[in-house]
Amino acid sequence: MDTTVNGTTAHLGPDPETTAAEFVRDGLGLTGTKTACNAGVCGSCTLLVDGTPAASCLLPATALEGRTVTTVEGLAARGPHPVQRAFAAHDAMQCGYCTPGFVVEAAAFVDRHRAAHGDTEPAREEIADAMAGHLCRCGAYPGIYAAIAAACAGKHDRDGDAAPPRAEAAEKAAGRARYTTDIRPEGCWEAVIVRSTRAHAVVAAVDAGGAPHVDLLGADRTVRYVGQPVLAVAAPTPAKARAAAAQVAVDYRDLPAALDPATAHRPDAPVVYPARAERRAAPAHAEGGVPPARWRGNVRGPFSLNWRGATAVDRIRKAARTGDPLLVTGVFSTSVQAHTPLEPHACVARWDDSGHLHIHASTQTVMALAAAAADRWGLPREHVHVTAEHVGGGFGAKAGLRVENVAAVELARITGAPVRLVFDRAAELTDAGHRPGARIEVGLLAGADGGLAALTMDAYSDGGASIGGTVAIMGRLVYGHAPRRLRDFDVVTHRPPGAPFRGPNGAQLLWALEQSVDEAAHRLGEDPIALRRRWDGNPKRRALYDWAAALPVWRERSTGAASGRFRRGVGVAAANWIYLLDSSTAVDLVVEDGAVVAETAVQDIGTGARSVVAEVVRGELGLPAGRVRVRAGSSDLAYAPSSNGSRTTASVGPAARDAAEKLREEARRRRAGGSGGLDAAALAALEGVRVRGGRRRDRRGYATPFPLPDGGALGRGFTGAVHVMEVEVDTLLGRVRPTRCWAGIAAGRMYADRPARNQCEGGVVQGIGYALYEQRRDDPHTGAVLTSDLEEYRIPGIGDTPEITVHFHEEGWDHVPGGGVGIGEVSTIGVAAAVGNAVYDATGWRPHDLPIRPDRLLEGIGAK
Amino acid sequence: MTTPPVDVPAAAAALRGGAAEARAGGTDVMARLREGLAAPPFTDLHRVIGLRGVQWLPDGSARIGAMTTVAEVAADERLRAAYPALAATAAAVATPQIRAVATVGGNLLQRNRCPYFRSAAFDCLQKGGDTCPSRTGDHLHGTVVDQGAACVAPHPSSLAMALLAYDAGVEVEGAAALPVDGLYDGSDSTRDHVLEPGRLVTGVALPAPTGGESAAYRRATSRSRGEWPLVEAVARVVRSGGAVTAAAVAAGAVARTPLRLTAVEEALIGATGPEDAAAAVAGVPDLCSPLPQTGYKAALLRDTVRDALERALA
Repeated sequence: MDTTVNGTTAHLGPDPETTAAEFVRDGLGLTGTKTACNAGVCGSCTLLVDGTPAASCLLPATALEGRTVTTVEGLAARGPHPVQRAFAAHDAMQCGYCTPGFVVEAAAFVDRHRAAHGDTEPAREEIADAMAGHLCRCGAYPGIYAAIAAACAGKHDRDGDAAPPRAEAAEKAAGRARYTTDIRPEGCWEAVIVRSTRAHAVVAAVDAGGAPHVDLLGADRTVRYVGQPVLAVAAPTPAKARAAAAQVAVDYRDLPAALDPATAHRPDAPVVYPARAERRAAPAHAEGGVPPARWRGNVRGPFSLNWRGATAVDRIRKAARTGDPLLVTGVFSTSVQAHTPLEPHACVARWDDSGHLHIHASTQTVMALAAAAADRWGLPREHVHVTAEHVGGGFGAKAGLRVENVAAVELARITGAPVRLVFDRAAELTDAGHRPGARIEVGLLAGADGGLAALTMDAYSDGGASIGGTVAIMGRLVYGHAPRRLRDFDVVTHRPPGAPFRGPNGAQLLWALEQSVDEAAHRLGEDPIALRRRWDGNPKRRALYDWAAALPVWRERSTGAASGRFRRGVGVAAANWIYLLDSSTAVDLVVEDGAVVAETAVQDIGTGARSVVAEVVRGELGLPAGRVRVRAGSSDLAYAPSSNGSRTTASVGPAARDAAEKLREEARRRRAGGSGGLDAAALAALEGVRVRGGRRRDRRGYATPFPLPDGGALGRGFTGAVHVMEVEVDTLLGRVRPTRCWAGIAAGRMYADRPARNQCEGGVVQGIGYALYEQRRDDPHTGAVLTSDLEEYRIPGIGDTPEITVHFHEEGWDHVPGGGVGIGEVSTIGVAAAVGNAVYDATGWRPHDLPIRPDRLLEGIGAK
Repeated sequence: MTTPPVDVPAAAAALRGGAAEARAGGTDVMARLREGLAAPPFTDLHRVIGLRGVQWLPDGSARIGAMTTVAEVAADERLRAAYPALAATAAAVATPQIRAVATVGGNLLQRNRCPYFRSAAFDCLQKGGDTCPSRTGDHLHGTVVDQGAACVAPHPSSLAMALLAYDAGVEVEGAAALPVDGLYDGSDSTRDHVLEPGRLVTGVALPAPTGGESAAYRRATSRSRGEWPLVEAVARVVRSGGAVTAAAVAAGAVARTPLRLTAVEEALIGATGPEDAAAAVAGVPDLCSPLPQTGYKAALLRDTVRDALERALA
């Protein structure tokens, strides 16, 4: 049986279980085609079969017999397809893992559209219909809309003059960008993790049936959630590894489990961590350490951060007693949100003959992973080499030395072969971390003078078997210095542990707080933006309030109850976030073959770290795009920070500038180049020169005198965001449709404007997912995760994306070299509350529970 | 490996005995294969040209081959004119890349989407177990109309619902044709269709089209696209002199089988415009006996049908 792939005949094997995706990726090595969901949902694996896009992860390879197949690589056989140019030009991507699938589908759509309608722009709805089978977890949909519309209009039939805004855009659009899941060295073995089928048990014995294996249980031999790794086995092929995993026998001694956070506090509930040592070893979902607190059974806390706490409580109690209408109380809840980056957690490990350890990893912490690996396996740090050339998203879930790294490295040592371990989507949605759920009790009192008189918040975080909720205490950082009592509790259960997720704890806090503030404005009869402007002393955010209040959508919004089936509403929410940086960051510049190559360890998880470096070097040295390259994503390069805590840009950007200044000095010393940029002659004179730039200290130093546990520092100043969201609520069928969103971000100067806007747009999209769709659901009796694929776990699609306008307020960061800081977190954490406030504006019903599912909305507005 | 059959008799012969499962587009079979709910051998039908495409019979009726893709049904101009409710439903199924390979036969015979059924972690009535873990566990997307089954997984086939609204027949090789509703048994908790193993569905036969029909398909979902319906409905109305003379209304995702809503159909007779839809659907919630988590579906069913009717009557 033969098929034709990209113009070449290929032989199809007879295996009835092989999918078309496996055939092109594993059989033909065409790794541009990705598989992410393996369930026909996300579209990453889309191929053209006889010119028609088809999901190849569910397509039997045998069905390709006699057909003509085109992969993303084949699209560009005679130069890039216009869609590939358009995706690069409009920055229609972030991590790039979904990009090949989008590009293949879009190419077919654009060709079809142009054949039928000439070079015209299609309607937004037509693009959404055509792309309905594709998911982008980064939320790069606005760029995708723009790219497809422009390609349809014939604007990208030739290479443009301008370089794409993202340094690696062309590679990603062509399917050439290599991710860890694409790495398969000669002789590579495959590893599979065997996971607990019990929520709580002691593992008495494990029989791996002779397969090479590594034990992944702790010293207490206890499993505390369904899906917990028990051991990993390896075999020479994926099929054999799966078969070996199926042969593993685990002898569980079942124990009672606490599965419901609503009842886990009861005295009769099974205790997750009965012993002190176990509590100390409990996993944390917080970044940078967990503050101490006492335990009572499964409840840990309170951890409090008060400011005249007794006064706050007294005022709120009195207001409750007297029925003060300016007292806002409410219980808000948030769902467990999965990161589910489209590239799953993956690792390929290899030991070389000289004892060096080579790790390819889908990680957002190349350097921290290398350091932890060196520590664990007792190696000199320079004998560990971690590579993450491209990373298909992370959002916080891919930090440090993780189980896939441990298993692959150990199995590589045992087998003497390279070993590859890739999570399947069920593991990704179960045991790759999540944003914990929270139950938040709010008391917020406005004074007769219109000021904030008191605030109390008790937050109960539901991070499964993990701890680290700091939801309420982050309320210390907002709305001035009114009295407040803020208490955090963790309620642990025998369910999977969480992990830091883009703005950890902040998204939960703001869902409750920003709706309560909105409610206070309504009680006071005041414009919600005007109220925030009075209560919020932050000058940068005040600038954003002025911008938001002047938006036509805000000025012209109708207030008062709407009627009819479809109701429009506008809501606002503000966000506040800390500024982190890593002062050890370095960037090397080396002049090679007439071009400047920037070298830095930094991994680019889709945030545009490469582009920031490239943009700085280009700008500082006056070089054309083709004369700057960036080598990144390797622990062998100059130290760079982890991609978490919004710290990358504020660390790497200044270091790149410092390096550029040093290269310019070197040019001056050698009398190469004039006052303008470095020309070809100057570069020739500098050939072979290498300089290192560092991250200069901020003026006035940092809020933390010593480095934080992860090497970072807490800088001075807060970033801010104000989101204005417009929605249309279908009161008949219960759907909330975000129509337009304005995202005002105050984080100083943007190093790379378009990728920065893209990240903010993605922040809106993820926030909409949090607000409306995303919810991990578990079986109440076994604790098994039910939302274990991307059909059940619902992330936003292109059709759910509003028109987004991003506004940057770029002042206020003069004390930071480069004048700008990170935006990853502040751009998303307030979005859900803006949706909630817009739903209230539209319907008069205030949602308290995330996500705002159709059933909840219909019940809520029906009860009104 | 045996060579895939190239014609209907060979396909029927390969399936006979029930050892091999038929595989059409593979979108359901391959997903089940991953969860250990399907296993080789498969009889691949992609070479059977005779199962593909639409035939038009002298009386103006259509016969759609089982291997015709959902995308082809959605795009076929003549089907869109003759059977607008079917074409509109096909256009709303899944996503473009799935519609391109998923087939009519596969859509009718696909298995349910219950996460307990789909997950290897659970036993259930459909897998030889003796209880329904969804009924006592999570059933947010479960049934709301009780047909006597302990299983609470709604039937997943949107095309079956549309074909039910056309009183279509299902052709089975070597056996008598069945009405669409004969393919399903709502009281049976052990399977999603009652076709015997080893049988081959060759196509669906539609009655001659009703001239002047207007139709609409609607589904309630949380996202705008690419999502299985919470509730779906399809409506066909024929008017004469401005008033409805015949109506067919069906709903899906609410019961173990697609449902015809005959009481709504009867109430529609004489209706003249969208404003008459609300009264016609008023009794729909009475059909429902919700599970603890599917109470919302009673009103949502009524309102999804109403939405479809308002569009069909517009």
